[in-house]
Amino acid sequence: MAPDSTTPPVVQLSGITKRFPGVVANDRVDLQVANGEIHAVVGENGAGKSTLMKILYGMIPADEGQMLVGGAEVRFSSPSEAIDSGIGMVHQHFMLADHLTVLENVILGAEPTKRGIIDRTAARRDLEDLGRSYGLDLDPEDFVESLEVGERQRVEIIKVLYRGAKVLILDEPTSVLVPQEVEKLFHNLRELKSRGHTIIFIDHKLDEVLAIADTITVLRHGRTVATVSSSDVTTAELAELMVGSELPKPSTEPRVPDPHVTLSVRSATVLGDDERPLVDAVDLDVYRGEILGVAGVEGNGQGELVEAILGLRALSEGELFLDGEQITHWPVRRRREAGLGYVPEDRHRRGLLLDAPLWENAMLGHQTQRPFARGAWLNRSGAREATAQIVADFDVRTPGVDTKARALSGGNQQKLVIGRELSAQPRMLIAAHPTRGIDVGAQAAVWDELRKARRNGMAVLLISADLEELIGLADRLVVMLRGRVTAEMDPSTATPRLLGSHMTGASADEQGTKE
Amino acid sequence: MTNLLKTSTVLRWMLAALGVVVVLSVVQELARPTTIDLISSGTAESTLRRAVPILLAGLGGIWAERAGVVNIGLEGMMVLGTWFGAWGALEFGPWWGLAIGIAGGAAGGLLHAVATVTFGVDHIVSGVAVNILAPALARFLSGEVFSGRSGGGITQSPRVESVGSLDLPFLSGGDLLGWGTPNLFGWTASQDWLLVSDVAAVLSGITRSLSWASLLALSLIPLSIFILWRTPYGLRIRASGEHPVGADSLGVSVYRMKFTAVVISGGLAGFGGAFIAIEQTGVYREGQVQGRGFIGLATVIFGNWQPAGAFLGSLLFGFADALQLRDRTAVHALLLLVGIVLIGLAVRAGVNNKRSSAAMLLITSAVVLWWYAVTEEVASELPPITPHLATLLVLIFATSRLRMPAANGLRYRRGQE
Repeated sequence: MAPDSTTPPVVQLSGITKRFPGVVANDRVDLQVANGEIHAVVGENGAGKSTLMKILYGMIPADEGQMLVGGAEVRFSSPSEAIDSGIGMVHQHFMLADHLTVLENVILGAEPTKRGIIDRTAARRDLEDLGRSYGLDLDPEDFVESLEVGERQRVEIIKVLYRGAKVLILDEPTSVLVPQEVEKLFHNLRELKSRGHTIIFIDHKLDEVLAIADTITVLRHGRTVATVSSSDVTTAELAELMVGSELPKPSTEPRVPDPHVTLSVRSATVLGDDERPLVDAVDLDVYRGEILGVAGVEGNGQGELVEAILGLRALSEGELFLDGEQITHWPVRRRREAGLGYVPEDRHRRGLLLDAPLWENAMLGHQTQRPFARGAWLNRSGAREATAQIVADFDVRTPGVDTKARALSGGNQQKLVIGRELSAQPRMLIAAHPTRGIDVGAQAAVWDELRKARRNGMAVLLISADLEELIGLADRLVVMLRGRVTAEMDPSTATPRLLGSHMTGASADEQGTKE
Repeated sequence: MTNLLKTSTVLRWMLAALGVVVVLSVVQELARPTTIDLISSGTAESTLRRAVPILLAGLGGIWAERAGVVNIGLEGMMVLGTWFGAWGALEFGPWWGLAIGIAGGAAGGLLHAVATVTFGVDHIVSGVAVNILAPALARFLSGEVFSGRSGGGITQSPRVESVGSLDLPFLSGGDLLGWGTPNLFGWTASQDWLLVSDVAAVLSGITRSLSWASLLALSLIPLSIFILWRTPYGLRIRASGEHPVGADSLGVSVYRMKFTAVVISGGLAGFGGAFIAIEQTGVYREGQVQGRGFIGLATVIFGNWQPAGAFLGSLLFGFADALQLRDRTAVHALLLLVGIVLIGLAVRAGVNNKRSSAAMLLITSAVVLWWYAVTEEVASELPPITPHLATLLVLIFATSRLRMPAANGLRYRRGQE
């Protein structure tokens, strides 16, 4: 079914403005979505896409502006009012309770009852009907805990459909999926469209947007820049609309081979609480001046491997060597002092003390070393100076070193963490998802710093879910699947598709014949 | 048979209970003649009576924690239950006493709910505040109300009546419409048949002169299960404890769910307190709760946040408590029991190929059995703390596979992630 242009737009937002302390997230944004189309909203991180969608879904109120749904003016004060108007949202971070079943998650808040008791039979029937008609297969009695990411997303979509939504908002739905799952999702979306649903799709991966969307609205710095038909634009034109100039790309210069092994991991095995291996006999060598990229769907042992190298988890078998020295049984502090740097995956939980000033944050991990300490005592003035140096060198935008870490934007927080680790000049840096959730400018800065450090002979272990980043930055790539290293690749010949099939294990047979 | 076992929870529980009786009988036989009270109708009756307040505190803990609020204030809410229960019983009769005790506990729950849910105070801070406030309030009120009366004072109330009890007809010879029915369990228990009489003695103990209040408390187990797992309200409460932001995004009023759950939690604890004052001791006395609120919290953990599991935990505590009160030599026989149970656990660990834990268990078992063999009686300090020791031991062994509600104890503020 082609987008219908004769009927009035199903959603029309005009002049939407939303201010947060210090920033204008949405500045007189206009958005028109026609009935039965797939409408993409694109823009960089911080362009105001998510804010706009939260306003449309009633999660936060707009300061100014008008919303029309199906031609009638609406003003939502809670998501349930948006649901009543036929709007549903699939959040970027899934809103699912792990320890409730699929069925319970779907019916929550809209439970069918019979004499005050939840009517499970009816609920199950409805769920299975929905699943069948949209090709979203799920077992209603499964616990969400046991589902894969793609399946969880399907639960979210069913949740929305179960409430009778005609307009579905999907917030960066592909960010958590590997390419094969993305195709399946797109298939589901086309199915929904053919049945008359309207889809608003938020993304910043432009080739995906062009593949699925009928119409595209571009936001930049909280303003609507353009609304175009997807058949009229190219990726490059879209990119220019998004950032106002050319997009930075991760890339790296060829490496001068250096045979010195900085970090050597020998048949490392980490067991989980249930005695099953999370990391299973992994062998890795990271050479001096090299970036080794680790690809893998999250939860395939990368996190545990990093924790083992750092000393946060014990190896049940295997050995670790740093510059040829056995460090398997060293405590964390000794490893850090010996020159192991770490950029954690979750900067809020592991990287920073959000309510502490920057100078205290800059000290973490180096609190026993100069200039942060003098003997057994902390050196406050030394720490302040060193922090000021990091702020200057790594372009951390902050009013001062006494500012709380919480007050900084994600990109600046990350620059502080990277600056803290790199200014100690480690021999080996472990960087887990170093550019996750930060804007394009900060991303380019982080890439620059990693490249610079690599030129100076530092070895880097880069774990990332951004396949472009891995292919662009790494000198060598390995893929982890179910705790094992299942493939090694040359980034110059690797494509996201190929990586994706290794990451899901889909290519196990293919790979066998190829190698 | 195995299929039936998998599908029928009730059958599984009955079999497990039978297993416990068998083990107890065996230990009893081995420990004769010094001990005769390890398994008897008196011990069973006392176990149930001692278990009820713990059970109620445990249910209270489950209600609050399923909604994501840690209720460490259960202890204080039980104290409120004892005072208001005794006062209500004194003024209006025992049934009113129970009702007013429940209301007193619920008032404590209301305070905790206002602090944690409405104002976002840390759950532990608020709970500790309730625990400090409740005894002080009870003491103040005693001074105002009980001091002038005969038998009353600043630390205790005059004696109060209990709500009365019943013998179940046919099973324990209770009256049915004025007709005295046969006493099946009592008669079987007196026959001295191996095992059968022991089972009958236990059943007779829990069905004869069964307090109406105990019956009411026991009925709250299936009622809680039913509400929490079968009704929309229960699903919403559990969702609020697992993923409040997600529940909110579906239009569930998370604040209201948490608020009502905590007030219900306080009411249950208040019932527990009132039970202690009205049914167990027949008087309000300062400090008579004696940490039962905390033990109730322990049974929540032991029972993996399930009402039936908490009931099991409360029975265990009740049993140890009943034994130490009735018969000190029985506590000595308890060593034998612990030794045998440890051997059982060691065998299970061995079958599951966990050699090191099997070895540890065997060694511990050997030490306990040796202690049993070389002594006639345990040190006099031991019996009074037996129940607490038992709770501690069980928690140590049971905590590995537990899972609490995912958002339990976390402050939830609408609109903040």
